[in-house]
Amino acid sequence: MSATLIKCLNLAKTVRTSTIKSLLTAPKQQWQTLCAAALQTPHAQMVHTSPMRHGLMEFFDDPKHWSENDVKVGRAWRTEELRIKSNKELHQLWFVLLKERNMLLTMEHECNDKMEIFPSPERVDKVKISMDNLEKVVRERNTAYHLLETGETGERPQKRVNNSFGLQFNYKSCEHVLPPFMNLKWIKSRNIGFGGRAVNRFLLKYREQLYNAKRKAKNRSRNEVMMILRRNPNFDLGVLRRKFPDVDIDKLRSADKARGHYVPKIGV
Amino acid sequence: MRITQYLASKLKNFSNLPKEYIERSKKQVYWQTPRETNYLPRTVERKRFRYTTNRPWTGQFRQQNMPATMRRKVLIEPVEDWSFFRGDRVEVLVGKDKGKQGIVTQVITERNWVIVEGLNWHYRRVGADKDFPGIIIKSEAPLHVLNDIRLVDPSDLQGTEFEWRFTEEGEKVRVSMRSGRIIPIPETNNQTHDYKTPNAYIEREKDTPAAVVGEITFQPKLSTFEMDIMEEMGIKEERTPAKSYWY
Repeated sequence: MSATLIKCLNLAKTVRTSTIKSLLTAPKQQWQTLCAAALQTPHAQMVHTSPMRHGLMEFFDDPKHWSENDVKVGRAWRTEELRIKSNKELHQLWFVLLKERNMLLTMEHECNDKMEIFPSPERVDKVKISMDNLEKVVRERNTAYHLLETGETGERPQKRVNNSFGLQFNYKSCEHVLPPFMNLKWIKSRNIGFGGRAVNRFLLKYREQLYNAKRKAKNRSRNEVMMILRRNPNFDLGVLRRKFPDVDIDKLRSADKARGHYVPKIGV
Repeated sequence: MRITQYLASKLKNFSNLPKEYIERSKKQVYWQTPRETNYLPRTVERKRFRYTTNRPWTGQFRQQNMPATMRRKVLIEPVEDWSFFRGDRVEVLVGKDKGKQGIVTQVITERNWVIVEGLNWHYRRVGADKDFPGIIIKSEAPLHVLNDIRLVDPSDLQGTEFEWRFTEEGEKVRVSMRSGRIIPIPETNNQTHDYKTPNAYIEREKDTPAAVVGEITFQPKLSTFEMDIMEEMGIKEERTPAKSYWY
């Protein structure tokens, strides 16, 4: 038994229980499917069967795909397609996708282990895009409910705060039993506000770095404009203005570096 | 609608690969700070790649952009509206095939290049060895879209300048400057590596049929996702949560 299989055993304990639960409650319509195929002719009849159980081999792809160079699948699910699906179906689809992702990651690991080529690695990304979109749709629905009922989004509260170095970061709130004024441990642990000579000196240098990065980016785009004008004297200036909004193009046109190494045509 | 049309490029992604995969496959991360509180999130990775006719997800691309190698920067002129599509008939303006017309077979937007079928070619010797002289193959060199080619007017099959205009219906089209005729975007542009036309796509084992994808099963309901699923599964939650504070 390879190392992967042993890992799978551990994973199976967690994944299997949840998948089986979802399958048991919804035996009627099972999607044995992963990706939404691009525009096709209407399908004849959906065959409703309970899925085959292969035990741990469900972590591996169909053996007929093992020696192939690429396994073709359709595209990922889009948000607009997921928005028209019921919660139940989204819940089922989530576990179908999760199983597929587990399978793909196992296959990828196993292929790397055995020095084989993992066919069509873009499948991992397609599943990830689908799962991200699904999560987005579920979040939209929950936010709508919470806004309607409570006037708040129901998301975990976040705000921008300064840490002790004076740098901004996203503070994600936590749930506490005690109110903030009673929670001495929290009051002592939080580092709000900053000051002192060392921090000020750090901030000065940090801001200098940010400023230098900005300045270099500006110089770089300025040089790029000059090189483009040098190679193509008749280049469309409107395009350049839109592409490089912070570069003074009219001033650069007469710059020495923007002039090509040729005799200019005068009076033509 | 006009704004969306104006912003969206009409060029179709021939490889049909997700953008995330292309980004992931060409990524070269040299070092990344651990995701801990005492580190600022910093990544040292390759930022500049040399794009050639080798596509970013291939092994040849990686070979040309081996870690810790640096190549001179290539100047890329900005192109706002991409105007050359697969299947377009174009006239070559430079090189040994100057004046000849051909069909665009490949588009490489990273370098503003197109490859025209059977034109601007050279011989390449491949697989030469000490004992074996190698095989000679013919390969087409890319052509620059701004300087090296121009579109062919379909009315008289002569090369022409063109511009993007809008029709009465608000559709964005290429119009020949000489004859004023619309130069249609060829159907070949919609082909991908996986299918020629969307209807000709062969459904695979794990694909969801289009009819199932388009089915509307959503019923608006005053409940969150979790509440709905719990109701579906017959889970009843009677307990009231204790008072808690978010901060």
